[in-house]
Amino acid sequence: MEMDSQETQPIISSSPPGRISLRPMTLSDVDDYMVWATDPKVARFCTWEPCTSRDEAIKYITDRVLTHPWLRAICLEDDRPIGYILIMAVDNIRKEIGYVLARKYWGKGFATEAVRLVTAEVFKEFPEIERLEALVDVDNVGSQRVLEKVGFTKEGVMRKFLCIKGSVRDTVMFSFLPTDTLK
Amino acid sequence: MESPIIFLRPFNLSDAEDVFKWAGDDDVTRYLRWDSVKTLEEAKQHILNKAIPHPWRRSISLLQDGCSLGYVSVKPDSGDGRCRADLAYAVAKEFWGRGIATAAVRMAVEQAFEDFPELVRLQAVVEVENKASQRVLEKAGFRKEGLLEKYGFSKGVIRDMFLYSFVKDDCFV
Repeated sequence: MEMDSQETQPIISSSPPGRISLRPMTLSDVDDYMVWATDPKVARFCTWEPCTSRDEAIKYITDRVLTHPWLRAICLEDDRPIGYILIMAVDNIRKEIGYVLARKYWGKGFATEAVRLVTAEVFKEFPEIERLEALVDVDNVGSQRVLEKVGFTKEGVMRKFLCIKGSVRDTVMFSFLPTDTLK
Repeated sequence: MESPIIFLRPFNLSDAEDVFKWAGDDDVTRYLRWDSVKTLEEAKQHILNKAIPHPWRRSISLLQDGCSLGYVSVKPDSGDGRCRADLAYAVAKEFWGRGIATAAVRMAVEQAFEDFPELVRLQAVVEVENKASQRVLEKAGFRKEGLLEKYGFSKGVIRDMFLYSFVKDDCFV
C-alpha cells in the first residue's frame, strides 16, 4: 500500500521534542541536498554516483525525490535538511528503510533518532506491514550501529548480494518486527 | 549415499502428464509459492505459462529425455541485483529420499554460473519447518546465512525463512 500523494504528509517530531524533525522535501531544499549528494564519502555505499551540478540536483529531486511514495527530509531546529530517510515497499508485507546524512552530522546520533522516529511510526501508518528491513554494506559500520542502537535485529550477512559501482558487495540484513521493542 | 545420476532439460508440453503427478501433489507443493495444479489442463497451462517462459527452469529426470519427476529453477535478479539469483526445486514424492534434489541442485548451480556470466551468488529461502529442503541445500554445499523472520507471504500465511547461499568460490560438499 503506497501513500496517496494527495494526502497531507505530516511533520513528524519526536516526543518529547528532540533535536530533529521530519518533513517532506521541497525543491527549495536543493542547496542543502547538494551538500550530501555531491559528497563521495556519503555516496560510497549508495547505488548513486555523487551529484555534479545544481541542475542535476534539481532534476533528481523533481524526478525521484518529490515523487517518492515515502521520503522525509531530516531537519534540525532551523528546518534545514541534513539528510533524508525513506521507506520503500518490498512487497505486501515488507518494507525497507534507507537513510542518508551529510557527513558533517555523522556520529552525533541524528540518524539513530530519525530511524527510531520512523520505525515507531511505520507500523501505525502501514498496519499490514509485518517486517521492516534494512540492508547495509558489510563495511558500513556506522550505519550498522545506527540500526543496532534502535533495536533492529542483525539477521545475517548475505554474501556477494549487491552489485554496486562495479563491485559485488556483502550486505548485512537487519529487521524490525511490529512485535519488537524500540531501544 | 551415492549420488544418483540425473538429467536436466527444458520442459515441453508433452511433459504434462508427468508434471501433473508431482505438481498436482499438495505434499510436493506444500512449501512452494504456487498451489497444486488441479487438472491435466492446468498442468499444461503451468508448463506453457510458467515453466517454458521461465529464464531457467529445468525438468529433472533419471534418463536423458526421460519422464519429468520434478524441476529446478534459477531466476536471476536485475539491476544491482544481477549478481544474484533465486533457486527453487521440487521432486515427486515417490522419488524423495534418494538424493535427487541434491543432485539436481548441484547440477543447476554449476550450469547457472556458466549460463549467467554475471552471476556470483545463488540463494534460496526455506521455511523453518522444511527440514528436508534445508538438508538438500546443506548437502549441496549451500551456507545458512541467517533466519529472516516474517520474510515471506505464501499461501495466506506469513512465514519465517532461513536464507541459504552458494557463492561462486564455494565448493560442492
